[in-house]
Amino acid sequence: MTSLVRMRLGGFVRSGRILAPLIAGMVVLGVIHGGGKSAAAPAYGYSAVMFFPVFAWLTKLLLDAEPDVQRRLARVAVGPAREAAAGALAAAAVGSVFCLVAIVAPLPLGAIRGPEPGEPSMAAGIGLGVLAHLLSLAAGVGLGALASRAVTRSVRAGITVLVTGAVLGVVLGLQGSIAPWLVPPLMATARALAAVPLPPAGDLWLLSGWTILWCTAVFTAYAWLRRSRS
Amino acid sequence: MRFDQVHFRYARRLPWTLQAVDAEVAPGRTIVVLGRNGAGKSTLLQLAAGVLRPSRGAVRDRPAVVGWVPERFPADQPFTTQQYLTAMSALRGLRGTTEVDRWIERLGLAEHRHTRLSALSKGTAQKVGLAQALLRPPGLLVLDEPWEGLDAHARTLIPEIVTEVTAAGGAVLVSDHRGEIAGLPDAIRWRVADATLSTHAAVTESVGDPSDDVVIEIAVRRADAERAVARLSADGHRILGVREEQPR
Repeated sequence: MTSLVRMRLGGFVRSGRILAPLIAGMVVLGVIHGGGKSAAAPAYGYSAVMFFPVFAWLTKLLLDAEPDVQRRLARVAVGPAREAAAGALAAAAVGSVFCLVAIVAPLPLGAIRGPEPGEPSMAAGIGLGVLAHLLSLAAGVGLGALASRAVTRSVRAGITVLVTGAVLGVVLGLQGSIAPWLVPPLMATARALAAVPLPPAGDLWLLSGWTILWCTAVFTAYAWLRRSRS
Repeated sequence: MRFDQVHFRYARRLPWTLQAVDAEVAPGRTIVVLGRNGAGKSTLLQLAAGVLRPSRGAVRDRPAVVGWVPERFPADQPFTTQQYLTAMSALRGLRGTTEVDRWIERLGLAEHRHTRLSALSKGTAQKVGLAQALLRPPGLLVLDEPWEGLDAHARTLIPEIVTEVTAAGGAVLVSDHRGEIAGLPDAIRWRVADATLSTHAAVTESVGDPSDDVVIEIAVRRADAERAVARLSADGHRILGVREEQPR
């Protein structure tokens, strides 16, 4: 399966399709961190929310980069389950690099200030930032996989799933939302990270568990749909 | 390997592409699938290869290594011939480039080794498609119109490769609407029509002494040529050639 992950990463980078999400990621970083100094935890919390659509988009682009017939050839070579998993893993690998840049780049640029009394330490802030980005990445890859051509079959349906999912992720995550459980708790996580003092650790566990549950549901749907849609 | 009451349709609201397919593919045999364009030959082959999943029924006991040569090789990929075949051999769990080099040589792809797939001619791309299916000796080789776009030399390679695969105990499923199968020895013929597969017509290559055969020359309208060839070969006749009518 690693060889298929590697082949797909190669195709994604060589074809230049990685450029668009790369530029989008840089724009997000510029918007989030360009306006002055902020404490680590809230800055990273909102960065993770903004990266959610970027992760979803890059996943769809990566999965769609491969021609349909090549995807079927890969399916014949490694089997349907591993073929379906390898695409999501390749997207997660690219997304992890994005996460790393999103965490590290603001530091030398002076966008993150030291903690004030009552705020979590710098190290804790960065740790929470990493967690928020990883949760956002998992959810983004899930949404992007559901929006991929292999599942949606048409361009219009694919874009509809991607855009609706990305917008709902934010809108249904707002305070007082009617159905917050429908979407991964990205906004809730960002709010928790922005609170002074930080909410108890139990709340963060709850948010992580919620994301994992949401991702499990989405990836199960993806796996089920991909069984019959090659 | 066998098809067990396999039904298939591309979407719930569409009519069945294939219905109640019951058939067996024995190791070491070559099966030629005949039928008109759009009859469902490709669908049947993709079900055999495991590319498509039956809507109902099942394909059982599929060999572990399946080679599938699609009708059109997906050349729109940012790899060179060598890079692509090396990646595909890694997918098959092979290390090193021994097999890749062997097939590049054998199929005459050496001068295109470092050419991008998108820059290859149709026939050359088709050879890359053939090579990727053979990197590991397949227990089932599925060839979808493998003659499409190949030059005369490469055309003779197909029966050769088919013979090697069957000699090693593999089964071969090949679709053909042009009647090029005259070169395949011992082939069983299946026919797809009206969403059903008939294997009972399984006319094997005429067993009689070829010196007992007579040659009939017939003229067919150009538009009907493909159909006539398919129908004649389905009836077990050998197609010796198709040519332009010579001016008298």
